[in-house]
Amino acid sequence: MIIIGEKINGAIPSIQKAITDRDEELIKARAVLQAEAGADFIDVHASRKEQETEILGWMIETVQSVTDVPICIDSPDPQVCVEAIKYCRRPGLINSVSMEKNKTEIVFPVIADTQWQCVALLCSDKYGIPQSVGQRMEILDEIIQAADKYGISHDRLHIDPLVEAIATNEASFEMFSQCCKEIREKYPDLHITSGLSNISFGLPSRKTMNLAFLGKAVHAGMDSAILDPSNKDMRGMILAAEGKPCEEKYQDMQKVALGEQEPDLTKEYGRELAGMKYAAACLDGEDDFCLEYIEAFEEGEFGVKK
Amino acid sequence: MISAMDVVGQRFEEGKLYVPQMLAAAKTMAAGVEVIKPLLKGDAASAGKMIMGTVSGDLHDIGKNLVIMMIESAGFEVIDLGVDVPVEKFLAAIEENPDVNLVGCSALLTTTLESLKNTVEAINKCANRGSFKIMVGGGPITEEFARKIGADAYTEDAYEAAQAAKEISEER
Repeated sequence: MIIIGEKINGAIPSIQKAITDRDEELIKARAVLQAEAGADFIDVHASRKEQETEILGWMIETVQSVTDVPICIDSPDPQVCVEAIKYCRRPGLINSVSMEKNKTEIVFPVIADTQWQCVALLCSDKYGIPQSVGQRMEILDEIIQAADKYGISHDRLHIDPLVEAIATNEASFEMFSQCCKEIREKYPDLHITSGLSNISFGLPSRKTMNLAFLGKAVHAGMDSAILDPSNKDMRGMILAAEGKPCEEKYQDMQKVALGEQEPDLTKEYGRELAGMKYAAACLDGEDDFCLEYIEAFEEGEFGVKK
Repeated sequence: MISAMDVVGQRFEEGKLYVPQMLAAAKTMAAGVEVIKPLLKGDAASAGKMIMGTVSGDLHDIGKNLVIMMIESAGFEVIDLGVDVPVEKFLAAIEENPDVNLVGCSALLTTTLESLKNTVEAINKCANRGSFKIMVGGGPITEEFARKIGADAYTEDAYEAAQAAKEISEER
């Protein structure tokens, strides 16, 4: 599993403040925390339009002053992404391209003869965020064509099939897992990634939904993810989903999320297991408007009420 | 139904209801409206007309859609331009709908605030600017920013947006 650490993002208020104050300490602390937790890349996102490249440069150099973990350069502007490469001491990951505008044509030629990797989102000018698996696969074919043209091998690409909120699109996970399946069949060497916390937007106990999604998505073929590597539950769930040794709690949570086991409520982590069951029902499209999930949360069956 | 949706909106604002519950309520209301529409024989005056879209460069639609649902629930007719809407498309829609009362622009990304600013500035140059108000909303936007770029109103969430729309339409 490839873990892209998400904790140095200007959309987080404390990080935005650190950028404004040029406070290196917080950035360094977050970099060390994620490196020690096993991040494979450290995502760096300025979330600013003015002087974005310079700010990214400062952030990247600050991270590199404390760790050798490669950088994931994160910006919606592909030009900024390629300009920030010069600050990086070793090849990392570009986040991201898509078939919007001419993003692939800006990034792919620059990374062609390097070891840089790249995240590619399955959205395009033609479809926006496509509402079918077929359209997403069509966009994937275009991305692969562009990558092949520049000799970028498939194992350098992390495909993000896009995760929409389950709160507003009940078919969200079904579409994601179907995409994973088709991607694996057609292009077995590609990595599949996601910014998974989107899944839980608008719901209570987002953590519960994120963990259930993580378990089910890894099972469906996802082998890369943008998340908080210092989160113990996330790490446990990944190990369980990969069938690696881990605490029994996570093995049980994974089995419940996959529907292989009913939650044993007598266990000390019975509430977590109950949460997995409700969350999995939403993801499987069996809970209209997530109403049962919300009700169970309200009644205290899982999660922590504020 | 409108007053029931008001309660839903209020509870959502207080954090007592979640996004899917609001969605379920709004869809229920829409189904109800379909049933009674033929019985109203067109004499139910619309509260007003709104044009709504997420600005160019931004693909986020959840917030915009929630606002549309709440504003429709308040009796407005809403023309949804979708996401990643170029300035020209806003201007064309305003020209095609001279009776528009409200134009809503949504942006979620800090990186599309610039795009929001450009959109509002262009709309402010419309010949019939005096006959409608501009509302803006979305994650990074503040009251101060809204004023600075020349919008008439900023609202924090979908419920507030519907309240503001009602106030604006009553001022007419």
